[in-house]
Amino acid sequence: MIVALLIVHGLLAVALLGAITHQAWSVVPRRGGAGSLSFAERFRSVDSSAYATAIVVLFVVTAIGGALLYPQYRLDVRTALEDLQLRSANGVFEIKEHLVAIGLGLLPTYWLFWKTHLAPEQTAARRYLTWLLAFIVWWSFLVGHVLNNIKGLLP
Amino acid sequence: MNASQRRPSVEIFSMLFGIVYLTCFYMDWAPFRYYPDPRRFHINVTPQDGPAILWYGWVTAATAVSAVVALLVPRLLAERLRPGWAWIVPLIIVILMLIYERRWFV
Repeated sequence: MIVALLIVHGLLAVALLGAITHQAWSVVPRRGGAGSLSFAERFRSVDSSAYATAIVVLFVVTAIGGALLYPQYRLDVRTALEDLQLRSANGVFEIKEHLVAIGLGLLPTYWLFWKTHLAPEQTAARRYLTWLLAFIVWWSFLVGHVLNNIKGLLP
Repeated sequence: MNASQRRPSVEIFSMLFGIVYLTCFYMDWAPFRYYPDPRRFHINVTPQDGPAILWYGWVTAATAVSAVVALLVPRLLAERLRPGWAWIVPLIIVILMLIYERRWFV
């Protein structure tokens, strides 16, 4: 059961990572002229606002999955990391849990900024909120996967 | 977002959430703890039950306190807040948290 939940948690995290990365890239101010067909331009040429609700739902569901997995992590993985004296591994996970909590608190404002018509001077706030959320998702994704595979990564 | 569309109470919620969460974490206080070994929630500290998880309690406290305060702040007062604070305050919270958590890497 716990393995199935871990796999579902990981798959949801992949979907969330893809969505937030598309959106975060799309709000980067453009420098060149429009109409470029580069991969980066195509990657960012998405309807950014269409991602907002999906990102909120994915973030909440993935966080709930993580919260359900947490007791097992606390008993098995964290204890093993302490036995191996991997303080930094425990540290990056601590940061992950704080970032996810702060991200949960950000979601209502993030959603509101994407779903209401903004004055031009407020688009910067929306951009930075999106980038902050993208940082949280990227950190959580990478830490989750590294810790999940840490025994295989160690020499 | 014009004045009628703006929901400053939502922005206050997001700003306060991180502050309350980080305060609870720093003070090592949670309204309840979960003990995964016996699979029990406790209001009191019960070391004999093994390691405790405080995260659920921190998130609950941050949600409840932020929601109550966000609802109580008068709209006129809330509307004085500049939208930029909605991302500046959480960013400061993240930076403070990262500074504090350096303890794991020294």
